[in-house]
Parts: sequence; C-alpha cells; structure tokens
Amino acid sequence: MHHAFKLGEAEHNVELSRGPGVYRLHLGGDTIAVKLADTADGRSWLSIGDRHVEVVVATRGDEVFVQFDGEAYELRYRHPLDRLAASAGGAAEDSIRAPMPGSIVAVQAAAGDAVTKGQTLLVMESMKMETTILAPRDGVVDAVAFEKGQTFDRDALLVMLKQA
Amino acid sequence: MSADAATKPWPFDSVLVANRGEIAVRVLRTVQKLGLRGIVVYHSADRGALAVTMADQAIEIHGSTPVAAYLDAQQILAAAKSSGAGAIHPGYGFLSENAGFARAVEAAGLVFIGPRPEQIELMGDKVRARNFVEKSGFPVAPSAIEDDDPASFVERARKVGAPLLIKPSAGGGGKGMRIVRDLSILETEIERARSEGQRYFGDGRLYVERYIENPRHIEVQVLGDAYGKLVHVFERECSVQRRFQKIVEETPSPALDEALRSRICETAAGIARAAGYRNAGTVEFIFGQDGEFYFLEMNTRLQVEHPVTEEITGLDLVHEQLRVAAGEPLRLAQSDIISKGHAIEFRIYAEDPARGYTPTIGPVLRLHAPQGEGVRWDSGVVQGGEVTSAFDPMIAKLIIRGSDRGDAIRRADKALRETVLLGCKTNTAFLRRLIAHPAFVAGDVHTGFLDANPQIATDPPMPSATLQALLAAAAISTRPMRDAADAIPDLHAAIGAWSN
Amino acid sequence: MKRIESKLNTTSATFLANAAHNRKLSDDFKEKQRAARHDRPQRDVERLRAQNKLLVRERIQQLLDPGTPFLELSSLAANEAYGGEVPGAAVVTGIGIVSGREVVINAGDGTVKGGAWYPLTVKKAVRALDIAIENRLPVVHLCDSAGGFLPQQAELFADKYYAGRIFRNQCMLSKMGVQQVAVVLGHCTAGGAYVPALSDYNVIVRGTGAIFLAGPPLVKAATGEENTVDELGGADMHTSISGTADYPASSEEEAIAIARDVVAQFNRQTKTKIEWQQPEAPYYAPEELYGVLPQDIKQGFDIHEVIARLVDGSRFHEYQPNYGKTLICGYAHLWGYKVGILGNNGVLFNDSALKGAHFIELCNQNRTPLIFLQNITGFMVGREYERRGITKDGAKMLMAVSCSEVPKFTVMCHGSFGAGNYGMSGRAFDSRFLFAWPQSQISVMGAEQAANVLADVKIRQLAKQGKQLSAEHIAAIRDPVLGEFKRKQSAYWSTSEIWDDGILAPSDTRNALGMAISAAMNAPIGDPKYGVFRM
Repeated sequence: MHHAFKLGEAEHNVELSRGPGVYRLHLGGDTIAVKLADTADGRSWLSIGDRHVEVVVATRGDEVFVQFDGEAYELRYRHPLDRLAASAGGAAEDSIRAPMPGSIVAVQAAAGDAVTKGQTLLVMESMKMETTILAPRDGVVDAVAFEKGQTFDRDALLVMLKQA
Repeated sequence: MSADAATKPWPFDSVLVANRGEIAVRVLRTVQKLGLRGIVVYHSADRGALAVTMADQAIEIHGSTPVAAYLDAQQILAAAKSSGAGAIHPGYGFLSENAGFARAVEAAGLVFIGPRPEQIELMGDKVRARNFVEKSGFPVAPSAIEDDDPASFVERARKVGAPLLIKPSAGGGGKGMRIVRDLSILETEIERARSEGQRYFGDGRLYVERYIENPRHIEVQVLGDAYGKLVHVFERECSVQRRFQKIVEETPSPALDEALRSRICETAAGIARAAGYRNAGTVEFIFGQDGEFYFLEMNTRLQVEHPVTEEITGLDLVHEQLRVAAGEPLRLAQSDIISKGHAIEFRIYAEDPARGYTPTIGPVLRLHAPQGEGVRWDSGVVQGGEVTSAFDPMIAKLIIRGSDRGDAIRRADKALRETVLLGCKTNTAFLRRLIAHPAFVAGDVHTGFLDANPQIATDPPMPSATLQALLAAAAISTRPMRDAADAIPDLHAAIGAWSN
Repeated sequence: MKRIESKLNTTSATFLANAAHNRKLSDDFKEKQRAARHDRPQRDVERLRAQNKLLVRERIQQLLDPGTPFLELSSLAANEAYGGEVPGAAVVTGIGIVSGREVVINAGDGTVKGGAWYPLTVKKAVRALDIAIENRLPVVHLCDSAGGFLPQQAELFADKYYAGRIFRNQCMLSKMGVQQVAVVLGHCTAGGAYVPALSDYNVIVRGTGAIFLAGPPLVKAATGEENTVDELGGADMHTSISGTADYPASSEEEAIAIARDVVAQFNRQTKTKIEWQQPEAPYYAPEELYGVLPQDIKQGFDIHEVIARLVDGSRFHEYQPNYGKTLICGYAHLWGYKVGILGNNGVLFNDSALKGAHFIELCNQNRTPLIFLQNITGFMVGREYERRGITKDGAKMLMAVSCSEVPKFTVMCHGSFGAGNYGMSGRAFDSRFLFAWPQSQISVMGAEQAANVLADVKIRQLAKQGKQLSAEHIAAIRDPVLGEFKRKQSAYWSTSEIWDDGILAPSDTRNALGMAISAAMNAPIGDPKYGVFRM
C-alpha cells in the first residue's frame, strides 16, 4: 500500500482495490466505486460512485495526464517502495562498504562535503579493475575512512554519510 | 494551374515555405489547394511535424541550434534551388522581415512572397518608420528625442504633454522608464531617468513620448499589389497580452464604433499607400481610452493573428499574397471586402500561467482538436510529437467565428473545453477563465489587463469532486495500482473489506 | 436447485425475542473481541510508539491488500487463561490477501507481555501453520516477540506440539514448496530467531529488528563478550555480513512494503477445481439467523432455516428428504462453491447416521467439500437402539468423516454433545476450519445432566457410609459442578483453549466459510479411501 500521486505540490495517498465489475478507490477513509471505460475515440467514461464523467487519460512513465471537465491535469505516481525508502532518508545507506577487497585509487569527497545521489565519492581498484563508489543518496560526507593508496578488505567501511 | 481561375498561369509552380510549425502548415495548405507544389525546410527537431508530412517535398536543414537553421538564408536558398522552388514564403518570424533575405531571394531569381526589401527596411527601423508616418501626415504619439537637439529637450518634452513617458534611448525591457503625470517634476524625473539609463545601459540619452494610460492594441490588415492599389481588411484588436505577447486577438474591435473603425482602417491604408506597400502587412496602433490612436509600427509580413481577418471576410490572405507576389493586380476593391460576424483567436501555448507563464515542454501524448461550426484549429503539432524548448511555445491557434462577439465567446468556451492536449501543460484553462472575466465579456481590456488581474492566471482551488475524479482516473491508469487491484481474487474482491 | 421455503414468521414475538437475545450475545462477543484486540496498558502502547513501532493490527492493515477481507483466527484465544492477561494469546493469526495472494498471517503482538510466547501462543501459532500446511497457503510472519515466557517454559518448550512444532512446520512448508516471508520488527531471540531464518525470504528493520540466538546480556554472561544489539544481530550485519536476513528496511512501513513485494513474487498456485457457479446472495438475509436461533440450548430449531441464510440464493438440493430426517443432507452453493451440507435436526438415529455416512461418501466421490452444521445432543441411546446397532452405525459415520478426503468445515451452531461432536466432524476430525457461534456449547453431555450424574455418585458414596444428605448439601455438591461445567462447555472456553478457529457472529459465517473454502482449494483433493466400515 502507500501508493500516492503528486498533484501540484500536494501528495495524495490513494489505494485501489476491486469489487465485482468495478474498482474501488480508497481515499481518506472513503471507499468509492470507480470504473474507467475506454471509448473508440480515445476518450473514456469515468464512473465515480454515481457520477459519470468524460475524461481523457494518457500516461508516460510515472506521469499521468488527465483531461477532466475541460482542463488538463498532471499527476505523478509514486511507488510505495520509492516513497518509503525516500521518507526513511537518513538511516538508509549511511555506511558505504567495500564490495570487494582492493585499494583506493582516488578520493573525490571529503568530510563535510555535500554530495548528491550518484556523485563519485571514491575510485577503488580490485583485481585490476576500477570501481567507482557513488553516493547512494543526497547527503553530507561524515567521514572517509581511507586515503589514496590504502588497501582494505571486503565490507570495510569506506565512507559514512549523514543528513544534509 | 492558374493565378486566377480563367486568366494566366502562375509564374511559379512550387513554393518553398521557409518556416515551421503552424504557419508552415497554414501556407502549405493554400499552396497545395491552389495546385502548386509545397516544399518545406525543416530542422531535425521538427522531423515528424505536420508541415513535414504534408509537404510535397521536405528538405532538412541544419544549424547549431534549431532556430539557427531556420535563420540560415544560404541553406534555405540552396534548398529552394535544389527543389526547384519558384517562390519562397517566409511565414512570420525567422527571416520574414529580413530585407537582406528578401533581396537574396530575388537575386536568386525567385519570388519573395512579401513586400519589397526597401519596404521591409523602412518599416523595420522604428525611428525611420515613425518619422515617415509623421511626415506623411498620420498620427504618431507626440514625442521628443533628446538627440535631435539636446539643448531644447526639456522644452520639447514639456510640449509632449502629461502624462508622458521618459525612456532611455539605449534601453529596453522597461528599465529606466519613468511615467510623469505632473509636468512640474519633469526636470527632476528626466535627471533620474538619465542616471538610471547611465547605470543600466551606460548611456544617459533619453527620449519622451506621450504616455497612454491603459492603452489598447489595435492593428489593421492591409493588402497591396505591385501597381499601387491597396485596401485594408479591417482591424484586429490584440490588447490581451502577457509578457508583451498577444494571446487573444479578435475582430472587430469592441472598442470601435463604425466611424472610428473606418477612421482607423483608412488611416492604416493611407500609411501603407504612402509607403507604396505591396503584399500583406499590418499597421499597428496604440489606442487610448479617449479614442485617440497613434501609429506604433508596421509589420511587413503575414501576422500570427491573420486568421481572424480571414474568418470575418472569407478571404484567404495567403492566396492573396501569392497572387500579388505573382504580379497579379488586386482583384478586390475596398467595397468588395465585407466584414461579417465576429472572430477571436486564442494562442494555445505550452506554458504555465500560474507560474508567470513559464514555458513548459513535453510530449504530445493526446491531442484532440475541437471541432464544430465556426471552429478553426491552426496547428503544426500532432499527437505523438513533442513540445521542446527549441522554439516558441505556441502549440496552436484556435480561431472561433460567431454571429456576434457574445456568440463567439460562448463557442470559444465550448471549444477550449473540448480541446485536449495531454503531455505538457497548456494555457487552455487559463483562457477559459480569461474569457469568463466580466471585463473581457464587456470588451473592456487593455494591454495591462492581465497584469492588473493576476488572479486570472492563478489556478483556482480544486473541488474535492475533481480531485476524486483525477485520482480515480490516475489510479486505474497506473499499472502497479491496477495490477494490484486486478490480482485480488474474485471471491475476496466480492467480499471486500470485511473482517470477522 | 430449489429455494428453501422459510417457515418462520420474522415478525412474530418469538422471532423478535430470539433476535434481540442472540444479537445481544453477538454484541457481547464483539465487545470481548474489541477489548482483546485493542485494550492495552497505555505504557505498553507508548513503549512501542517510542520505538517507532506500529501496533500489530496497524502492521496487518498495511500488509493486506486494501479493500480485501481478513479472516482472523481464534481472536479470543487464551481469553479465559492466564487471568485474562494474554488477550488473543499475544499473537494475531488469520487469512488475508497480500499482493493478490491468499496467505496465512502469523503476527506477534508486542503490546502483550512484549509478545512473549505463552503455551496458548504456541498452540495458536502451530495451528496457523497447520492451516498453512493443510491448505498450502504461503505464510507472512510478522515477528515481534520477547521469546518464550520462562515461568511456563515446561508447558511450551519440548512436547510434540510445543514451540519446536512451529519450526518443524516451517520446514514442512518449505519442503512442500509453500513459501514464507518473515518481517523482523523486533528482537527474534533464541528459538524465535529460527522464524526468519527458516523463511524463504525475510526483511529486517534497521534499529528495531534483530536476530540472534542469544541477546547481548546472555552473551556477556556466557562468554564475557560485550556487544551492542546492532553488532550482534542488527539489520546491516545480517543483510551484509551473515546473510541471515535478506532485505534491510529503514522503517516498519518500508519493511512491510518490501514483504508485500516479496509476496508478489510468489507463484500463484493453481487452485483445485471444484464445481462453481457465479455467487448469489442468500434470498433470506443472514441477519435473520439471530431470530432463528432459540434462547435456550435445550430448545430445538429447524436447521433448514440456518442453511437458507448461509447459501447462495437460499437454494438447497436435499438428499433423502424422507429418510433419517434428524440429519439434513444436501447440496448447495456457498459463494459460488458447490458444497455438501450436513446439519442436525435432532438426535442421530441409525438411519440418520447411515444417511450421513452415505452422503459423505457421495461428496468424496464427486469432490464436493463438506460443511457440518452442528446442533447435536448425540446418538440415540437405549436398548432398542443398541439392538439395532446404533454404535456400529455411528462408527460408520465416524469412519466416513475421518477418512474424508474433501475438505471439511464445521460450524458449532448450537449444542455439540457426546459422540455427536465426533460424528459431525468435531475438532479431533481435522476439519480444515472449525468455527463456533457465541451461544454454542460443547461437552460430553449436557451440564445439568452431568452435574446430576456427579451429584448422584457423591450421594451414593455417602449413602454407603450411612450418611443422608439434605437438599442444601446436595445443592452444595451439585452447584459448583454445574458452574464449572457450564464455564467449560461455553464457546468462550473452547475458543480460549483453541478447540476451534474462533467464534463467529452468525451473520459473519457465510463470508468466513467462503474464505475458508477458497483457502482450502489451494491444496489438492485426494481420492477417497476408507478403513473398514462395520456392516
């Protein structure tokens, strides 16, 4: 559960289940029977409870575009696992450990540096192969445990992150 | 193939459109209707655009940016040569008001569908144009240019009369401009404006002009042939603007009565005639709340908003352009041109009015153009295309014709409501709010109208029923959610959220 | 299949009085259930909140698909035990829908004694896993337990059906290819550590979840080694070093979401095909069951009236309508599933027993699940009936019930006395699910009868000693026996002891049976084979 859509700045928690011949929308404690029937010309009939309205819906990735009552709206879907991982923030992926034994080729971040997700923190070498260690999330470097040239074991703590 | 049904043949059998988007489509449509071959140049960013698909031949041009490609006269001329085009229609924007291009086209032995290069030059220079109009005896806003005689500047400025506007000669974008409503502080304001001009532009020279409070923008379509004959095709009012760009244009102007209408149209025709203007052009006026109007500038090309004129007159302005360019005399006398009903054009922009009209981009996932009596949709965008930041964010023009203004507004609301464009945010909802505004309904607008009424651009609060509908449609259309719901076994779906 | 024609007048004084009485019993049950689910010492709730933990019911709600049913099992287990201090036996079990799959949920309740395992906790968890095994249902374990309750370790540790059975059942499930996922939401210490370890997948919450054979204090006592919880068995250690746990999560919500995603990877089982048609609501409202049931356990009622309020369209094909009429047998559909129903309309005679055995054989032959609706005072006694072989006819019925391969479902509708309990597939006869209505009673004989028997024995003993008893003396002997008997024959006692899978409000029975049958269809139905029927 924990599915949500962002509409403008607001995030709306919403769940979908189904009953015989209909879907059920769970929204803020309400359960509403809903149905979306496509027509030949690309429009759809949306039934919500006993209301029936015409809509046009298009999706691209997690973006959902809905034309309703003469206006177009854009919603962005957020998957529960993404949302929950993001909301957990800090605790997750604070400790970046060595995937295999090796040595440090380059250190590209220092304690106190603000880093963004995907930024290179370290380059290590192992079995004659270089591996780049990237920041798993946005944050601030708490500590870098090794210097250039030093060697380490598998699972050695390489970098610690803290909250920005 | 003939320039005029029963008379002589066209001097060219193919026309290259040196433009893109909706105007390329618009021009091609007439070109092809007349049995001529339509050629278009395009940058790869426009591959798959409607103009490219509908053209008889499309030639790719290149550039460091997409815009640069369409501004590259050499490539376009080369394309014309290779495709055997006999004429070039420049559309609007890009090279349409480039006298050098017009000249190069003619030098290449091709027909330029537009005015003569020197007319472009005359009207393209604002100061020259203004002086020309003034000398020809037509109204220009009273003004004083410091450079003309610095010593008498203050005295001449005072003669312009209040309210007046002091502008830095080197300026632009409203910086350093000062409005003076009380002439007693004229000199101190001039000094302030001078120091601001110095600060912003490193140039303290100034000029002043009459400040028109809450002005309207009214323009007149003219059409002239190569033989000195010139008619006007009535006015268009383009007062509703945002960020100095027109978004709604209509004709007739609700500000004019018959006498004033005929006066402003005749004035425009007079100016164009004085310039010996050939082809289609537009004379723009600034129109005060007091009914006075002054020459603003002349656009020596087909305007974006030309369709409203076509809708009330039944003319095909591109056809007339082609005829005139082909050397035909105007076939219309002024009295042949009759205005009937009311037409309004809406520019559908990829933009977010609530965020200062910032342009938006995105794919065109769904496109349903409105249809019906009096509804015209001029667009170069097709479903499956993409709105990019490479060009102007105008997606389409929706032109509505009605028996009168009220009828046109009603039809427009319906058509805007029916317009579906999904994938990037557009201004259609904003346009609906605009035309529902009492001042617009009353025809009581001016160029500062949207700035004075910012709430029109603001998204209204969403009713909970709307939110419900959106979330319902989105949830059902989102695979992870729908799949999860579909995965519920029938029995448990039927029992629902029961527990013992 | 023809609709049962109800003979009840739903506006009669009797019906209305019954309805009021039984509705009140049902309300009392729901109130006990509410208290068992939600009434907790404030400090226990606050302690969990302080650890960013969710309450067990919140966890289950997040785990289940929205808008789907949850069949909770034995909600009042242990309610008559341990001074009532271990509501629900400190564990929530049930069948629900997770990522579209029917699963058994086994969730420790950290608000009851820190989720400590009492003997009945173990019994309830073992029963849940037995259900998983019998019906081949995947299991989601939500682990939050302090471990075995030491003062009662002798009653929960070593015997065949004690705590070890939980782990043995987990192994059996795995061997059968039935998948399990455990979510470690608290400390899984000692035996508890095997729950996630024996699951195919497990998720552990960083900070609050831990798995170890011995916690830091015990390790220190044993070897002198000092450890933090995280070092010894925290999420990062187990997911990156030991491999004991699979997925780290930063919050309970995330852990549960991951578990849902894991369940979504389980292959959906192909269900056993039995006769099925589109479901139809009963023509007679299930709510009317309250008026059908009498107010006194000794009072009879027509079981047809109950069947009419449980089955699709109230339609029933009655088998042998004129033979052995104290046992009603026939076919119906329930939530679309074809079922064979056996319901009591009086004491079991020779013919009723033979009819029942025959019908059970029919249902096994045509693969029709069986529903037993118990309201039975027993088999008929007396010289005449013994001469006719009532015992051997009853034995035939027991043989048929025991060897039945189609799944059986039993509802204790009213009385369940004597060997009738066995013949109608009582707890010992491995019904897949067994539910009881609030006013139902189970005992070897009726309470008054039993009290009188016991009083008589006492009186005769005393009489041998030449003692004469006054009416007061007799009452003094009889009344406590009666009281104790009544307490232990009540549905609340049975359910506390987990002799059933929970009490149901009668109007909930249709849905519960629907879910139970659906769950049972995850397991194949074997070919019928019986022992020797004494002819």
